[in-house]
Amino acid sequence: MAPEWKSVSKDYQTYLQLKGGFNMAILAAALSVFSIVENIGSWLPDWWILASAWLLLTLFLLLFWAPRRYRFTGYAETDEAMYLRRGALWRLQRAVPLNRIQHVEIKESLLERMLSLSHLVIYTAGSSGADLAIPGLKPDEAERIKSSLITEVANEPEADEPGE
Amino acid sequence: MSELNWQRTPPITMVFFILREIKRLVSNITNLIPVIAVVAVSGTPAKAAILVAVAYFLFTIAVAIMHYNRFLFAIGDDAIHLRTGIMNRQNLTLKFDRIQQAELNETWYFRPFDLTILSVDSAGAGGNEVEIPGLKTALAQQLRQQVLATAKSSDTAAGKASDAGSEERIEPDYQRQFSLPDIVRAGVIDNKIFVLIAVLAYPLSQLDIMENYIVPWLETHTQWLDTSNWWVAPLLGMAVLAMLFVLAIGVSVVRYYGLSLTIAGGRYQARGGLFTIRTLSFRYHKLQRVQIHQNLRARILGRWTLRVSQLRPRQQAQGQAASQFTLPVVTAPILTDLRRLLKLPEPDSLGWHRISVLALLGPSIWLAVLAPLGAYLIYRQVDSLMLAAVISAGFWLLLQIYIVLRWLRFSYSTGEDWLAVRRGVLSRRENWYPLYKVQQIDVKRSPWLRLLGFADLVLNTPAGSENIRYLPRSQAEHLQQQWVNDIARSHKPWM
Repeated sequence: MAPEWKSVSKDYQTYLQLKGGFNMAILAAALSVFSIVENIGSWLPDWWILASAWLLLTLFLLLFWAPRRYRFTGYAETDEAMYLRRGALWRLQRAVPLNRIQHVEIKESLLERMLSLSHLVIYTAGSSGADLAIPGLKPDEAERIKSSLITEVANEPEADEPGE
Repeated sequence: MSELNWQRTPPITMVFFILREIKRLVSNITNLIPVIAVVAVSGTPAKAAILVAVAYFLFTIAVAIMHYNRFLFAIGDDAIHLRTGIMNRQNLTLKFDRIQQAELNETWYFRPFDLTILSVDSAGAGGNEVEIPGLKTALAQQLRQQVLATAKSSDTAAGKASDAGSEERIEPDYQRQFSLPDIVRAGVIDNKIFVLIAVLAYPLSQLDIMENYIVPWLETHTQWLDTSNWWVAPLLGMAVLAMLFVLAIGVSVVRYYGLSLTIAGGRYQARGGLFTIRTLSFRYHKLQRVQIHQNLRARILGRWTLRVSQLRPRQQAQGQAASQFTLPVVTAPILTDLRRLLKLPEPDSLGWHRISVLALLGPSIWLAVLAPLGAYLIYRQVDSLMLAAVISAGFWLLLQIYIVLRWLRFSYSTGEDWLAVRRGVLSRRENWYPLYKVQQIDVKRSPWLRLLGFADLVLNTPAGSENIRYLPRSQAEHLQQQWVNDIARSHKPWM
C-alpha cells in the first residue's frame, strides 16, 4: 500500500522560525560581547562582515530553510508501517514496521507548548539510536496517532514459536 | 512464584570481586589524573603520597570483599535473581527467555576449584551484563542449558532436527575442533600490530624518540654490539616488530587454544582458551547478523573469520566485541558447512546487484580537485615541477583505481529472507541480515544525490545499520515499501 502523506501543522513553520531566530539571537549576543570587550575578540573579522554574515544566515534560516523544511515534513500511516519524511536539504524518508515498535512517547518542549504543538517519538530496537520522531503535531492528533499505534501493537498476533 | 533459594558464592570468588574492583580502578585511573598532577606539582612528600595510594588500594580491596559479602543469587524456574550492592541494594530479576547470550568463563584462578563464571546478556536493561562467579562448572553448564533451552518447545520447531528432543543434547548435530596451527593462523589474521604500527609511526617520527632516547640507551646498554654498522638499527627494529608479532600470536593462542564448535538443535557453542576457558553460546533464533570477514592475511592463508551478532543494547554498541560469538579461523569446507547450518542461501545461487556507476562520480571529482592541490603543495616542498606532477599523478592513479575497485567489489543481494552485502577491496566482508528482523528503513537524499536523482537506503537492524548507496530514487522508495510490508506481515520472532 502506497503511503498517503499528511503534512504537519502550519505552526511548525513558525516553530522552526522562532527556534532559528532564538538561536541566532544567542549567537548575536555572544558575538557582540566578543567584539565589545577588548582583547578576546581580536581574532574576529571586522564587525560589518560579521553583521552581514549573521544577517544572511538569519534570513536563510527564516525565509528559506524553515518554510522548506516545513513543506517537506510529513508522515503517513499504512496498515503495515509508519512513515516520516523530513529535512530541507538533506532529506530523509523513514519507515518503521508497526510490529517493530517498542514504545511510543509524546513530547512537548516549552516553545512547542507555547505554540500548542507536540512531537511523537516512536522507538525501535535498532542499535543506532535513530528513532522516528514526528514533529509539529497538534496535541490531539499526536494523541490519536499514539493510541492507534498502541492498539495496533497490542493487537499484534503472537509471534510464532522461536526457532522456525 | 516458588520459594527462592538464595545462595552465596564460595569464598574463592573474593578473588573475582577483588579483580573486578581493581579492573574498575585501572579503567577509571584517568579520573585520578588531576589528583596525581596536584600531588606531583605541590611537592607533597613522597611518603604521604604513597601512604594515601596504599590506603586507597586497601579501601578498594575492602569494598571488593564487602561486595562479595553482599552478593546473593537464586535460580528460579524461569529467571535468575540477584541481590547485590553495599549501600545501594539492588534486586535484579532476569527472565531466561530474554537472555540473548550466555557465556561461561572458566578463569585460571577458578579452574583448580572446578568453578566458573556465568555471564548473561539481556536485550534491555541498558546493556547490563549479569555475572555470577564461582558456580560449580557442572551446575553452570546445566544452568546455561536451561537458560538457552527455555524458550519453550523451541526444540520442536528447530527444523528437521526437531523430534530428537533430549537425545540431541548428547549427540550434537555438528562438531569441529580447531587445531593449534589454525589458532596460530588466527593470531596472524587478527594481528593488531599492524594497526599499532600505523598509529604509532607518525608520533614517533615526530618526537624523535628513536634518536633522542632509544638509540643512546641502546648504545650504552649494548656495548658488545658494533653500532657503527648501518644495519644494526633497522635489524633491531625488525626484531622488535617480529617479537610483537609473535606476542600477538601468543595472545590468540591463549585466548582460543583448543577452540571447539558444537552445534546441537539450534544451540551454537564455542569453547576455548589456554588458561581461562571461555564458552560462548547463543540460540539460532537470536541471530541478528552473520559476518564473514577475510582480510588480506586471511586471504593469503585461505581462511575466514565468522562472527555472529545478537541484539546489542545501545550502550554496548561499540567495543565489547570480546563477547561476540566469533570463530577466528574457518577453512573453506567448514565455512560451507556453517553457511548451510546457519541457513544462509548459497551465495552463487543469488543475483548480486552492483550499485549505479554514478557512485564513482562524487569521490572521483573530489580526487580530481585534490590531486592538483597536492601537486602544488609538493611543488612548494621539492621545487621540481616534474617530480611534483609525477608523485601526485601516481597517488591520483592509485586512489582512483581504489575507488573503482571499491565500487566493483560492493554488491548486495536479497533472497530467502536474507539481505546480504559484500564489500572490501583488500579486506573483504560479507554481512548477512535476516530481513524480517530489520527495525526501520531510511531513504536518505543529500543535495548531491537529489541532483542526480538517487538515494541511499539505510537499514537499521538490531546488530547495526547497513547502507546501500546510490540507488535510483524510485527503486529505493519501492524497496523501502516492499521490505517494510514484508516485515510487517512476518510473524516470526525477531529477538
